[in-house]
Amino acid sequence: MESDLKQILADVEEALPGLGSKAQFEQYKATVLGPNGKFTAVTKTIGKLPPAERPGAGKLINEYKNRLQARFDEALRRLDSAELAAKVGPSVDVTLPSPDYGPGGAHLVSEVREEICSILRKIGFVVADGPEAETEYYCFDALNTPKDHPARDLHDTYYIHPETRFGNVSRKGDERFLLRTHTSSVQIRTMLEQPPPLRIIAPGRCFRRDTADATHSANFHQIEALYVDKGVTVRDLKADLDYLFRSLLGPEAETRFRPHYFSYTEPSFEVDFRAGHLGKVGSEWMEIMGCGMVDPAVFAEVGYDPEVWTGYAFGLGIERIAMTLYGIDDIRYLYQNDFRFLRQFA
Amino acid sequence: MIVSRNWIERYVGLDGIDDSAVERALTMVGFEVEGVTRKGLPPLENIVVGEVVSHGKHPNADRLSVCQVRVDGGDPRTIVCGAKNFADGDRVIVALPGAVLPGDFEIKVSKLRGVESQGMMCSERELGLGEDHAGIAVLTDRPEIGTSVNEVFDAGDTLFDIEITPNRPDALSHIGIARELAAWFKRDLVYPDIRVNLLAGPGGHLVESVVSETEENCPHYRGYSIRGVKIGPSPHWLKTALESIGLRPVNNVVDATNFVLHELGQPLHAFDVKKIRGDRIVVRQARKGERITTLDDKNRTLDSGMMVIADAERALVVAGVMGSVDAEVDDTTVDIFLESAYFNPSSVRRTARTLGLSTDSSYRFERGVDPKGAEYAALRCIDLIVELAGGEVLGPPLVAGEPPFIEREIELSPAWVRGRLGFDISDEGMAAHLGSLELDVRETTDGDDRPLLLVGVPSFRLDLYRPIDLVEEILRLHGTDKVPPAEVRTHGLLADDDPLVVFTRRAASLLIGRGYQEVAHYSLRDGAEVKKWYGHCAEDSLALTNPLASDASHLRPSLIPGLLDCFAFNQARLNPLAPVFETGRVFREYDGKVFEMLSIAFALPREGTEGWLRREPVDFHAVARVVRDIFLLAGVSVDPARFEPVSGDNAWQAGHAARFGGFKMGFEAAFGVLGLTMTSQWDLRTPVCAGALYFTPEYLKREPRRRRYQAFSAFPPATRDLALVVPVGTAAGHVRTELQRVARQAAKGTGIEVESVDVFDVYRGKGIPADAKSLAFSIVFRSPERTLTDKEVNPVFDAIQEKIVEGSGYSVRK
Repeated sequence: MESDLKQILADVEEALPGLGSKAQFEQYKATVLGPNGKFTAVTKTIGKLPPAERPGAGKLINEYKNRLQARFDEALRRLDSAELAAKVGPSVDVTLPSPDYGPGGAHLVSEVREEICSILRKIGFVVADGPEAETEYYCFDALNTPKDHPARDLHDTYYIHPETRFGNVSRKGDERFLLRTHTSSVQIRTMLEQPPPLRIIAPGRCFRRDTADATHSANFHQIEALYVDKGVTVRDLKADLDYLFRSLLGPEAETRFRPHYFSYTEPSFEVDFRAGHLGKVGSEWMEIMGCGMVDPAVFAEVGYDPEVWTGYAFGLGIERIAMTLYGIDDIRYLYQNDFRFLRQFA
Repeated sequence: MIVSRNWIERYVGLDGIDDSAVERALTMVGFEVEGVTRKGLPPLENIVVGEVVSHGKHPNADRLSVCQVRVDGGDPRTIVCGAKNFADGDRVIVALPGAVLPGDFEIKVSKLRGVESQGMMCSERELGLGEDHAGIAVLTDRPEIGTSVNEVFDAGDTLFDIEITPNRPDALSHIGIARELAAWFKRDLVYPDIRVNLLAGPGGHLVESVVSETEENCPHYRGYSIRGVKIGPSPHWLKTALESIGLRPVNNVVDATNFVLHELGQPLHAFDVKKIRGDRIVVRQARKGERITTLDDKNRTLDSGMMVIADAERALVVAGVMGSVDAEVDDTTVDIFLESAYFNPSSVRRTARTLGLSTDSSYRFERGVDPKGAEYAALRCIDLIVELAGGEVLGPPLVAGEPPFIEREIELSPAWVRGRLGFDISDEGMAAHLGSLELDVRETTDGDDRPLLLVGVPSFRLDLYRPIDLVEEILRLHGTDKVPPAEVRTHGLLADDDPLVVFTRRAASLLIGRGYQEVAHYSLRDGAEVKKWYGHCAEDSLALTNPLASDASHLRPSLIPGLLDCFAFNQARLNPLAPVFETGRVFREYDGKVFEMLSIAFALPREGTEGWLRREPVDFHAVARVVRDIFLLAGVSVDPARFEPVSGDNAWQAGHAARFGGFKMGFEAAFGVLGLTMTSQWDLRTPVCAGALYFTPEYLKREPRRRRYQAFSAFPPATRDLALVVPVGTAAGHVRTELQRVARQAAKGTGIEVESVDVFDVYRGKGIPADAKSLAFSIVFRSPERTLTDKEVNPVFDAIQEKIVEGSGYSVRK
């Protein structure tokens, strides 16, 4: 009897690894342990043995039954986990590159715009918005630009077809529509709508009729800031710009005012910056933006009392700042949209 | 504008101030220096004229010679020289030991190949005179031996190219710049003396009268008669001065007028009296079509907006701009009529611009010359003419009109100034700064006994008329780089960013999160492109009046062409394409009016990436999902049942694209597959999926509405599936809307709510007629109060099945 049992165990041990599914397994298990199974057949022979041998044989059968059961259990576990694994398929090569697109990213101009906005937000500026299609009043007249100032020339400013009527760009009278040359027009629209005090920045697209080259672009982006309150001084302007440039360029950045002229500020300044740690670019004073104290004529135009309110305004070119910060030598790259360029800053 | 340091030093001493200090002063006083050019010989010591007495071969070097050179009364010196271009007896320039040549090259006694050289003979380049380095400089006009080189050559000069802002016409002259430097360096400014005494002349005039017929454009005109001049070349000093700033000397009289223009900023004009026809000078507007040949030899046609100076017959000068060849001073000129006038800036500006002719004269008139400067400038010029060309001035001038009245006195409170500055400058400091600019400052007190400055403004400072203008003057001279550092003073933020900006930011960040790269394109597009793809925007209304190029002639109605440009550009550069988006303003026409709208547009190649694993192509529904999610950020909920298929629009592929919204709602979108003819025009190899959303700023700025909580049921739903066979062209959204309506109607009054009706299967094929399709819906019922039983739901469902087929042409698929 023992040799039969040994043979059955050996057969099972040989057969189990070849079973590929639970169905095969159950089928095979029945041929061994089922009612008509080989092992069952052996157990049935126990009754034919002499009684004295029966206890020994019973013990033997139990022992083999346990050993078989262990083999079957193990095989079942193997099949169970194989079945689960089949649900997620064959293993992958984790070192393969992603078959999908690379990450998305913001355009450098947006990146720098948001950086500046968030720096200024910390000192109380909020973003205001206004139209790109403007009128001569908001872009020039209200900003104290002389009637025959060259900036109003067809040569320098884009005008919109004289027959065009806008549905959502308001005019003061019947002045011409144009493409704004600076976002200062947003300041005018905001001041006409809101009473002082206010502290706004107007980032946005501007247009000048320039032939494109490494430093000129048919459209570009500006951020204009306007701060109106009681007792705003030249010193505040300097303090806030120092804060802005230190935030952008690092704690070693310095700014310098130079007297200049803008029709909508008095006094007016050009701002140079210097940041020695930027290396060659940063060691000399470099012109970066214009600013000044809001001209009383501008306040009078929007109905703010210039005796009560003072304020400052500054405007900077986003492309200019971006090019300085990232060492880009041609503004046209910013509008060319070569993925190899765009992704460097994403 | 170019200014010469030597010329400036005629009016202000700059001893001990080097060029870089002058450059910095100009910059800090408000005149940006765009370039500094050094010309000629700087002051040099121990460099003198010598004569080569003899020369012979160097014993140890073939290419050197040993020369005996006499530099004074003593013995000749031995000098070793490498040049060969001289002969014995030539006068040359010798740098003696102790001399320092430009470039800090010090001359010492030294041995060259064993022979001691006691100096060096110099080339022009070594002296900084020019580029000539072929040999040493040989002085053919043989100056005295021992003469300092500075006496042989003109003194050097430094030229500053400076930017003069439009508010400062007073600085468009050497005296103007000298005035600023005198103020900055606290030195004296010396005006040229006037020597002529008009009353000493014989009296009378060379023309009978001067009339201004156009007083508004020419308020003031003076004409001086000078008799008996001798035209000839200008002296060396005058030629040098004019040449230094890039002018070409002509003759002594013309040069004198030019000199005064650049000295004082007042343009003058000298007429040859014998060329004046008739006996009077008339200032008038040109006649339409009147012709004149200007001094640049161009025939010009004038219009009535232009002012001329004319004789009895014809225009002789385009007033303030340029003279004509007809009255030009030339070698034969003997008698002169000298004009000095004040012309209206706008009139001159308009004329110069219309003629496309900008001259030194028009530039100054159009920015505004000193209204009271005409007389002084004329007298200064007469002095020069008499000095250089002889002749005599007959007497007082013929005068038309008077200088415009521009007396100004500004009351300035020093405390108010400090309030604007935010830091302290003393009253005395302010008065000193203003005084140094030739403003007439008197210290007094106001009614409350507080200090007050009464500031008289000279006529040439057209830009100063308000107290705030003086704040700038004080600050300029105090030093704008001395604004003290300070802490940021900031207080609470009671406003928020504009909603349009906030939305744009959120949409961009959503798209970036989904793997889209932001791009940026120009707002100006080609008119032909606009017409072809966006023909519904009338071409003209988006046109610019004055485009610079035909491919940038129109405002963009859509961001999509830019995105296609991006794909085409990167495809050409063999960069794999990837999803992109752009945000920006576009211009769209509705009912004859153009609206500026915010657009957000995205695009991606339909075929996906080209990597080792190919994904399924992007389909309409993937694009629609992105559109839906962006709309959600704007508070617009999107129901595909409201999508309208696009047809008849070149920009979108019929059957694969949809529209949503409408201008009147404040938002709209088109999305799906771009027109295949469109993408092939851009030479793209793959069809492009895209979406373009448009919002009016007004819509985004609407008051936000906070949503209210809606209670939801704690009981399970009961779901019934219903398949409807409908004509193949029927939109699923339409059937769904119908079914939803029918279901709600059927459930009315039963206490059962129809929670949702959704398509879960679309089938065509076996068992369905060829011209029909099966749409399977699952209808979810729920009660807020109880678990629904079949007994309750079945009658409602039966009613729905009955109702939906009535008159609809649909049938229920069993």
